[in-house]
Amino acid sequence: MAALIAALITGFTTGGLSCMAVQGGLLASSLAQLIEKDLLGKRGGRDQWNIGLPIFLFLISKLAAYTILGGLLGGLGKLFQLDPLSQAVLQFIIAFFIIGNALRMLNVHPLFRYFTFEPPAFITRLIRKKTRQAASFTTPIMLGAMTVLIPCGVTQTMMAAAIATGDVLSGAALMFAFTLGASPVFFLLSYFATKLGALTEKYFTRIAAVVLIVFGLLAVNSGLNLLGSRYSLSRLAENAVSAVEIRHQGQASATPGTDLVLNVVDRGYRPKRLHAPAGVPLTLTLVTKEVHSCSRAFLIPALDYGVILLATGEEKVQIPPQEPGTILPFTCSMGMYSGEIIFDL
Amino acid sequence: MKRVELRVMDMHCTSCALRLQGLEDLLAGVIRVEASYRKGKMTVTFDESKVTVKDLVEGARKLGYTAVE
Repeated sequence: MAALIAALITGFTTGGLSCMAVQGGLLASSLAQLIEKDLLGKRGGRDQWNIGLPIFLFLISKLAAYTILGGLLGGLGKLFQLDPLSQAVLQFIIAFFIIGNALRMLNVHPLFRYFTFEPPAFITRLIRKKTRQAASFTTPIMLGAMTVLIPCGVTQTMMAAAIATGDVLSGAALMFAFTLGASPVFFLLSYFATKLGALTEKYFTRIAAVVLIVFGLLAVNSGLNLLGSRYSLSRLAENAVSAVEIRHQGQASATPGTDLVLNVVDRGYRPKRLHAPAGVPLTLTLVTKEVHSCSRAFLIPALDYGVILLATGEEKVQIPPQEPGTILPFTCSMGMYSGEIIFDL
Repeated sequence: MKRVELRVMDMHCTSCALRLQGLEDLLAGVIRVEASYRKGKMTVTFDESKVTVKDLVEGARKLGYTAVE
């Protein structure tokens, strides 16, 4: 659920602007012109509703097309998503792709243009041909569906995230949330396309690029978490915070002969840091209660252990004796949520 | 019929390539425009009895781009 809300917010804040910059210039402007020239012209006046309806149809069609695409990408991810190492590699590839795309949007060097998908000439020709056809309500519907062929940088990022979900429904839901979030801004910008088009392209693309760099760093962070690295950005931040916190805040300890208990919640793991005795086998009990986020896909990379937890229930993990000072990181399967067990008792 | 390759470095996304294809509608005599955002250039096939390279550059300017031979 957290990922869907993040996708929705991403769509609302940057997706609409970025999509407008890439797709809006031609499609929405052409659409608006078609509407004004062909539809309204025939009816003899400017009717606000008539301008809005074809744009609305365009966006509904776009929403449906991207949801289907998200499902297909999620299914594709399932084929390749097998173990934490391959997931980490995928995250690094996504990060490379995202940051390259952001640098392209910032116009750092023409080389970065190769980070974007350029549709073959016959497809661009087909799209343009469609925009020139006599206007009807099927035109915006067709054009909306065709936007999957020219995704913007932020959308491409979200498509990569849909692959990373490794699930048809999750991929579809992610793209649905993102496209839905982007729709209001896209609608408004399309509505005022002729006035705002150039401004949108010039300034908002840069904002979207900066946000993409943040996403790129988050993907690097996820990759490092999946590798069980102590040097992921989130762990470094946690360590910095914990250095000034009272030691027992947000932490839990186990004494020899007792279980460690970790509460798995929608937004991660509580506590994030567990202290355990070294040199003895331990049982880690994972407790879930109505959990519906990716935190249910629990991994301990160093032990090569992974489990999909029930939404509500308990799962016991046997941890073999560890050397004193060992730190055992754990994470969700997407590397979004993480924590660690420290063997220092 | 003549073919000319023009550099257009101020394209900023793949849709710009689509827009530049609009020269086919804008100028009588332009037969085919193949624009590439990645390469930052467009190749135009045109009827030199109806349109000149200068017209193509001016047409690109009207669409918002700077084309250089």
